[in-house]
Amino acid sequence: MPTVSQEFRSRFGVLGIVVVVVLSALLVRLWTMQVLNGESFAAQAENNRVREISIQAPRGRILDRNGVPLVTNRSALAVSVDPSHEDVRALLTRTWTKDTADDPTSRELNEVFGEVATLLGITTADVWERVTDVQQEALRPRVIAVDVSMESVAQIAERQTDFPWAIVEEIAVREYPNGNLAAHVLGYTGAISEEQFKNSDEYAGYERGDTVGKSGVERQYEGLLQGDKGWRRIEVNASGRAQGVVSEQAPRPGNDIRLTIDAAVQAVTEEQLDKAIAEAHRQGYTSSRAGAAVVLDIETGEVLASTSRPTYDPAAFLGGISSAEWEALNAKTSEYPLNDRAVMAAYPPASTYKVITAISGMEAGITSENTTYSCTGRWTDMGKQWPKWCWKRTGHGTVSLRGGLKHSCDTVFYEIGYELYKRGEEELQATSREFGLGAKTGIDLPGESAGRVPDAAWKKRYNENYPEYQMWLPGDTVNMSIGQGDMLTTPLQMALVYAGLANDGDVMRPHVLKDVLGSEGDVIRSIEPEVLHETGVSAEMLGVVERGLVDVTETGTAKGAFAGFKPTVAGKTGTAQVKGKDDYAWFCAYAPAEDPKYAVAVIVEQGGHGGSVTGPAARNILAQLLGQELKTIRTTDESR
Amino acid sequence: MNKTIGQRILDRVSVPLVAWVAALLVYGTVMVASATSSMNSGSGMLLRHLFGIGVGLVPLAVAWFIDYTRLRGWQGPLIALGAFLLISPRIPGLGGTAKGATSWLEIAGMRLFQPSEPAKLIFIVIFAAVIANMKGRVDTPSRITKALLYLAGAVFLILLQPDLGTGMVFVAIAMVMLVVGGMKAKHFAFLAIAAAVFVGAILGVDAGLDEMAGRDVGLKDYQKNRLLVFVNPDIDPTDAGYNLAQSKIAIGSGGLTGKGLGSGTQSNLHFIPERHTDFIFSVLGEELGFFGAVLLLGLYLALLLTALAIANSSRDLYGALIATGVLGMWLFQILENVGMTVGMMPITGIPLPFMSFGSSSMVTNLGAVGLLLSVWSRRYGAGS
Repeated sequence: MPTVSQEFRSRFGVLGIVVVVVLSALLVRLWTMQVLNGESFAAQAENNRVREISIQAPRGRILDRNGVPLVTNRSALAVSVDPSHEDVRALLTRTWTKDTADDPTSRELNEVFGEVATLLGITTADVWERVTDVQQEALRPRVIAVDVSMESVAQIAERQTDFPWAIVEEIAVREYPNGNLAAHVLGYTGAISEEQFKNSDEYAGYERGDTVGKSGVERQYEGLLQGDKGWRRIEVNASGRAQGVVSEQAPRPGNDIRLTIDAAVQAVTEEQLDKAIAEAHRQGYTSSRAGAAVVLDIETGEVLASTSRPTYDPAAFLGGISSAEWEALNAKTSEYPLNDRAVMAAYPPASTYKVITAISGMEAGITSENTTYSCTGRWTDMGKQWPKWCWKRTGHGTVSLRGGLKHSCDTVFYEIGYELYKRGEEELQATSREFGLGAKTGIDLPGESAGRVPDAAWKKRYNENYPEYQMWLPGDTVNMSIGQGDMLTTPLQMALVYAGLANDGDVMRPHVLKDVLGSEGDVIRSIEPEVLHETGVSAEMLGVVERGLVDVTETGTAKGAFAGFKPTVAGKTGTAQVKGKDDYAWFCAYAPAEDPKYAVAVIVEQGGHGGSVTGPAARNILAQLLGQELKTIRTTDESR
Repeated sequence: MNKTIGQRILDRVSVPLVAWVAALLVYGTVMVASATSSMNSGSGMLLRHLFGIGVGLVPLAVAWFIDYTRLRGWQGPLIALGAFLLISPRIPGLGGTAKGATSWLEIAGMRLFQPSEPAKLIFIVIFAAVIANMKGRVDTPSRITKALLYLAGAVFLILLQPDLGTGMVFVAIAMVMLVVGGMKAKHFAFLAIAAAVFVGAILGVDAGLDEMAGRDVGLKDYQKNRLLVFVNPDIDPTDAGYNLAQSKIAIGSGGLTGKGLGSGTQSNLHFIPERHTDFIFSVLGEELGFFGAVLLLGLYLALLLTALAIANSSRDLYGALIATGVLGMWLFQILENVGMTVGMMPITGIPLPFMSFGSSSMVTNLGAVGLLLSVWSRRYGAGS
């Protein structure tokens, strides 16, 4: 039987070879993929399948020194948008392409988000702004509203089919049981910034969108408060929908911390600062809006109270602050409520600085308690063409160093300053630095200012481009001796100077953290008192200064503010002249003079006179600390 | 010679062919069951798959019982039927569109089948007659041109749908048959070069046309994309490139022994697109690993060599060419389908013979088995 095979054998042979070659090629390819590279593909498959979701750790609470909660956590109902839902992802994909022509139109966005936005009382644009926030992990739901009413939540939840991308969940947010009490010390929280995120040293392990401390203690002790994230590995399908949990690790909550702040003292301090500003207004200083006050424990450097005005509400930052609110907080006309003036603002210390001049003069041996000076109101020792005036134009007559402090006589300190200038050894600067002026105190709060102690080298550098202003002149030292000129200090620095005077010349390192608590509420770390500067000023000289300062509150420039006050207070008024502004009112003090415990510094910008504006505030803060009655005091004291 | 009925039937059956096909059908059914297990309508899909196999037995039996030599006298009607099948989806009221190609026959909204599938068999029969008429001497330019005109006609009609993948199958069938038809190596070389130049020119001209028309005319963009993505899968990770990447991950992660039937994460979590149809091999590779793939390719090798043996045993050239055409169809579809899942071939919608879910191709492939059986059972002469 003839078949075609004889004739076509070779052709079938070719086909047989083609079959074997084709199948072998596939086999070789499969061998390399499955056997040689199988592990790498297996890893990719695993990576496809498993998504790791981090679980936020509850942020540590912030308590006052007595355990009174200052910042806690509460749960809030939040509505989020799931960016991985296909509807949202489709819009996002179009937004993220370079081609802006296919960006979603507002009409399209309205179709998707319009109804939910209306339910939440926000605009579609608000929603979209949050959804497109690139400072978030790609898969993390974008919170579009916090503290949503139950009613809105119910409506959104009921219509899950209409808004399949909407997630209603309870999230933990910061709670401020005392409103904006100590807002500047505590600080506010917010989403980690791109800048912070990239600072891998401090923010290793953080993800975009994490809540971090932005200012104050929240920022300073971020590492303690944050805790460790937990994670949950979930299996997802190709559309990113979760199928089940593979494994999980619970988060470790952040540490609670206890501050040195005393909530009661803080409340009085804030109230008194507000009253001082109100009093300034009553006296006609209507530009006054800002100020600061600091209260220290002189033996430990603990900050018992610290406040700044104007202030802000840290709760406004929960769930992200609106851009309008943010702009309002940073507007030029706002006086910058977010700034903590107690540590950030540098002012001329004015007459409160005279204690330094007195000590410097005594240490140089050019003055003593009873050295007398003659004040005619006009001082022309530097030459008739350079007259300087005492604030009391009619003069104080014959006055001693102690009397100079009591009456805040400028002439006395002009004389001392001029003598110090003539010695040419910058002793006034040295004494200032001994007390910590001109340098950061190292307080555990962000953004501290160093202030400024001017000297010849500084002046030369400062006027680098103005050779005619580079020389240090007698007037520079003379101005400095009354705390004016180029001298600048922060309220905290002045409080520390007076604390140092009270603490036998030892300035303690100021701090706001008292201790760190463990998970059981046990103290796991305490901040020990530490001497920041040993000024080495003799007890004798400190005694001279103290007697002068006690005179101030008893019979001197602050006698009205402290009339009838027990125990004895060593204090000093100050009235700083600032070009183009009303005078800034200062008051610094420590008490009780016999056995000092506390130091206080209060400043009101453009508040007028220290004796009548900040003096009464300091008096009532001390009254709170010493268990005395608080009083509203009105004096007409216009002394400096 | 007196034989019992059983013996006579046995004599007409190629036992190896039936055995390999049966093994493949079982294997395919198992894989379709696994691939559809995580779908909502999984069990329904499996029933439809079995139904396709059942329906396919009809053309198998018909082709088997018809004496293939009689088909040679039906050349004219077959050409008409083939052309009608290829053009039918374009006839208003009959066509259905899926994935950019109008390749379904749809009447009153009911999807019937993809007419280009049975058209493959009709083309094999027609083309076999053309080459057989030249007595296996397709070695002059004029004869080659004449044969290629049949191919060109078919491909032209397919590209109207347009369905690039099926067009490629037709070309492959024709080329394999031309090997047996006597076309020489130098002619293949010349055709290959001409085709390369032609494709390059088409792509260039098409891009120009799109530019001029301001819209997508001629070759569809998705078709060009598939080809381009094949060259560089990083072009578009979201669509065609995504499919390829996911398929490769699935197969590669299967390793030597696989993750176990029904345990493929790529498959069950829907990362593999079209996992029960075009990408069934990705599921197999993931769940049964290299061993499973070797088993499948081994079955295919046995099937193809059996088809070759049937061609070899044919009593005439016409039967040998029909068997060769079937072999070519299967070989190319295996190469193209498995090749695309591992990134060796461009992604097209070519199903894997006997494995993929889909009745049109199942029925066609079983019809092809019928053709082989028809050739085999008449190897000693008509009616014997």
